[in-house]
Amino acid sequence: MHEAGIALHLIECVVARLEPLPHGPVRRIHVRIGAMSGVCADALDFAFGCLARGTELAEARLVFEVVPLTVACVACGATNPVEDYVFRCPACGSERTAIASGRELEIRTLDVEDVEVPCHA
Amino acid sequence: MHDIDLKSDLLEPNAELAKENRETLASCGTYAVNLMSGPGAGKTSLLERLVPALARHLRVAVIEGDIVGSADAERIARLGVPVHQINTGGACHLDARMVHHAIHHVVRDGVDVLLIENVGNLVCPAEFDLGEDDAVMLLSVAEGHDKPKKYPLMFRRADLIVVNKVDLLGFTDFDYDEAVAAARDVHPGVDILPMSCRTGEGVTRVVEWIERRVAAKTAGHHHAAAVG
Repeated sequence: MHEAGIALHLIECVVARLEPLPHGPVRRIHVRIGAMSGVCADALDFAFGCLARGTELAEARLVFEVVPLTVACVACGATNPVEDYVFRCPACGSERTAIASGRELEIRTLDVEDVEVPCHA
Repeated sequence: MHDIDLKSDLLEPNAELAKENRETLASCGTYAVNLMSGPGAGKTSLLERLVPALARHLRVAVIEGDIVGSADAERIARLGVPVHQINTGGACHLDARMVHHAIHHVVRDGVDVLLIENVGNLVCPAEFDLGEDDAVMLLSVAEGHDKPKKYPLMFRRADLIVVNKVDLLGFTDFDYDEAVAAARDVHPGVDILPMSCRTGEGVTRVVEWIERRVAAKTAGHHHAAAVG
């Protein structure tokens, strides 16, 4: 439901970052999205497509990198993937774990065309 | 073609406002709860139990979050404590910005406990930090014992899980032990309390849990004031 708000913020962030730089069209925007970020990549993609119309990002495409959900164990130090949302350490059974990855929701990089320099030769 | 680095957290605007809310509440010595559940699990009924019990010793205020309407705020206003209604106008959750405005309406006169009732929804509210001290969530027996694994983010986020409507246990296939086991898979060590707002069973333990957390924060506040 709130993917639209996130897409709007994404567009504002990218436009603000580009504003002071000489740049051609933006081709791709790389986004990292955790498996437990609570955000649906398809819905974010759809919202972005709608909201980018009429902006300089209208032709840009979102490229998602999905980050797996993992826990780091405080007791034994192991980091393991979380299966079936069981957050105990699969290595030693300890309950003292912290999410190591899988909650990300961030813009990473932009693929941008170079500015065409007019030829005066 | 070239790359431009842009490491930017997309929930940063909410996180920043939540931090501000947390600082405002800390400076007022106010402990805040973000009360979350699916629709109809008993959030407002729990508040009707909690507010009079907490108000015996503490100054209590409430923020009510609903998509539309003020029926819940009217129920709370009858209890004689300050209440502020937020209507999200369609949004499925409260965010830190909405609460930022509301805090100034209800916390100005000195409040020990601020209870924030979120929009009834097991999904989106879990993603938005409001600046609260504790997230308390309700799971009601009528919803079924399979919910922790279906809505893991919410159960992971909760500092206290209250299982409401336990007076209905004999009329349903709800397996209490299975619900607790699933909740503890998702969130090992989380506090879980059974309760019925209708009969009053277990309400005292929920009140005591909150009173302990208020006392812990107040002690910290006094300590910080003495040091600072």
